[in-house]
Amino acid sequence: MLSRVLYVDIGKRSSWVVDKHDIFSKYLGGSGVASKLLLEEARPGIDPFSPEAPIIFSPGYLVGVFPCMVKAVAMFKSPLTKNLGESHAGGHFSSALRFAGYGALVVRGASEYPVAVKIKDDKVRVEMADSLWGLSPLDVERSLRESHYEGMQSVISCGKAGERLVCYSNVIVDRYHHFGRLGLGAVFGSKRLKAISILGTGEIPLESPLAVKEMYEKLNHEVVLSGKMSKYHDLGTSANMLELNELGALPTHNFKDSRFKGAEGISGEVMAESLLRRKISCPGCPIACIHLAGLRTDFAPEHEKGKKEVFSEEVLLPYNYEPMYALGSNLLLSEAKNLLRLIYHCEFLGLDAMMVGNILAWTTEAFEEGRITLDDTLIKPEWGSVEAYLQIINNIVDMKSPFYAKLAQGLLETSKRYGGREYAMIAGNNGMAGYITGYGSIVGALVGARHSHLSNSGYSIDQKTMNQPLSHEQISDFLIEQEDWLYALYSLGACYFCRGVYTKEAVCEALKTVGTEKTKEELMKMGKEIFHNLYKFKVREGFELAEQEPPKRVYQVQTPHGMLKAEEVKAIIKLYIKKREGEGLRLKPEEKALKELLR
Amino acid sequence: MKKALRFHIDVLHPERCIGCYSCVYACSRHLFNTIDPSRVAVFVRLNGTIANPFSVIACRFCKSPECAFACPTKALQPLPEGGITLIASRCEGCKTFDCISACAIEALALDRRTKLPIICDRCGDCAKYCPHNIFRYEEMK
Repeated sequence: MLSRVLYVDIGKRSSWVVDKHDIFSKYLGGSGVASKLLLEEARPGIDPFSPEAPIIFSPGYLVGVFPCMVKAVAMFKSPLTKNLGESHAGGHFSSALRFAGYGALVVRGASEYPVAVKIKDDKVRVEMADSLWGLSPLDVERSLRESHYEGMQSVISCGKAGERLVCYSNVIVDRYHHFGRLGLGAVFGSKRLKAISILGTGEIPLESPLAVKEMYEKLNHEVVLSGKMSKYHDLGTSANMLELNELGALPTHNFKDSRFKGAEGISGEVMAESLLRRKISCPGCPIACIHLAGLRTDFAPEHEKGKKEVFSEEVLLPYNYEPMYALGSNLLLSEAKNLLRLIYHCEFLGLDAMMVGNILAWTTEAFEEGRITLDDTLIKPEWGSVEAYLQIINNIVDMKSPFYAKLAQGLLETSKRYGGREYAMIAGNNGMAGYITGYGSIVGALVGARHSHLSNSGYSIDQKTMNQPLSHEQISDFLIEQEDWLYALYSLGACYFCRGVYTKEAVCEALKTVGTEKTKEELMKMGKEIFHNLYKFKVREGFELAEQEPPKRVYQVQTPHGMLKAEEVKAIIKLYIKKREGEGLRLKPEEKALKELLR
Repeated sequence: MKKALRFHIDVLHPERCIGCYSCVYACSRHLFNTIDPSRVAVFVRLNGTIANPFSVIACRFCKSPECAFACPTKALQPLPEGGITLIASRCEGCKTFDCISACAIEALALDRRTKLPIICDRCGDCAKYCPHNIFRYEEMK
């Protein structure tokens, strides 16, 4: 079992290793270990941008051992929500950490000048990196990648958006993967930490190799040949574009509609037919869900005497459903190439494309309503207008006006100042995902510890129960069961996409082969405890679940489960709170609870 | 083992590689009962950036193998059907690893534990676990 935690203080330029066997034996790795370390490392009320604010990374326990166990978890205080920051990424990062011999990495401190952390097994250096500052994460990967190496290397970095402290900037992992959500890029920027490179050349020793091989064989068969995961390999999640459109659950026009006339033009089918160039995987996963499209840009037409179509550059960029909905249907953009230009712009600057989609949609609507004017936006935002949107994204990163400075902090702050909260499509201040499927998706996003659709798959219970009313009990039980179990999986490094293969039975069996005996009940208990740890942090930092409500817009749009009602959402959350409190979780901030008691 | 020598592995379609390392992990599981991407006989290499296509490298079972010719102690012996075998007792004492630098496609790696070159035993696990059929694994005619 990996129990070594590497601490790096980038202010003091020092590093040390602490053995935390107790935490690892209880929580294994990933989300579980990170949640505990976050509670240990972040003092109450810490400013996300203060030098002491920690960033915690932990690779999952089974990373590298079994197929699709590929993820590392990052935890931090989110500058976007001023609360729990949790983001998961694939790529080479988790395996590089494991092969370097670490169960977790904690980054602390801040530097006066730009730095990069370079880790090669036991050697850790904090190096000056002014030459990397301002570069796109795509170029940083190229610069820091060793020309020839053994083992596994990963390069992660923030972009210009992170450097400028845009609260929804991301950290890009090995060019095509992301610690995408909740603003880790800005935390990097606040520390003047441009990049981390990890090269691990060690091994993951196996106690009973024969048992592992047999189990691997079984799981690999399920992953590759059973068809359970073929969607992710074939069209990828972009298949959702037409599926959800058909269903009437595709957020369109800033969630005003749930069907998009132009969906065909930006569908996974069209992408695969004309723009898909390559698919890649995380090490240890045979699926290759990362679909890379080629974006061609003509240049230097004067050299070609006007025949510009024969001479163009092509960059490859990843696409999947979420950015496609956020920057596509939600902005009424119906041309694949324009959609790719917007996605590429977010990649180049290091921005969470989902949140940017919500921001652009809100800006366009607020402009139409006259809440903001040209003095604020400097350019007229228009539905479907890619040129305007590209400029607006630049303006946000450059904070070109007081309006943009607010917009860089997210939609809660912006709507406090300018209004329009009812169509600021955020849940817990995180941009909403592309599913208006019903109560499951809305309540799931509000109660999920990281306010993501991957927290508790709320949308999937909606989709599974079309035309069938669900009781509040059923929805809240589903969300609780799912989130607890997913946190057990996220401790092992499981990718959300492989949840169908890694059933409880399969996980117990797989763990046994690496010498970790846990029953299904123990795993569920561990997942629940992780959720409780995270909510302890959330409540401590002022999050109150009872006060959470979605933007009113979700009640004005037709969903596959009809028009949603505010009372219903409230009632489900109330029941959810009751059930969670029944588990012994405190969901009210201490001060408030005390006041009510004294009253 | 004798039987496996009659098999041949070809990297037929390296351009199909998705970088999943299934072949690499399978190889280290098979050869060393561990998971270690640097103790293997098949390699997925990144060429300066992940934006470039991956290189997939495995022993080509040369009839006149460079590595064997480079070996100063004749520890690496060419096999009549192509490829090499290692006489481990002869290999000790060599500090230059001439064999490893001799291979033009860098298909030979050094086991840092034993300080011996890692020889492909033609088990075919790389081909078996590759989801994109990059390898051809077949019995020699």
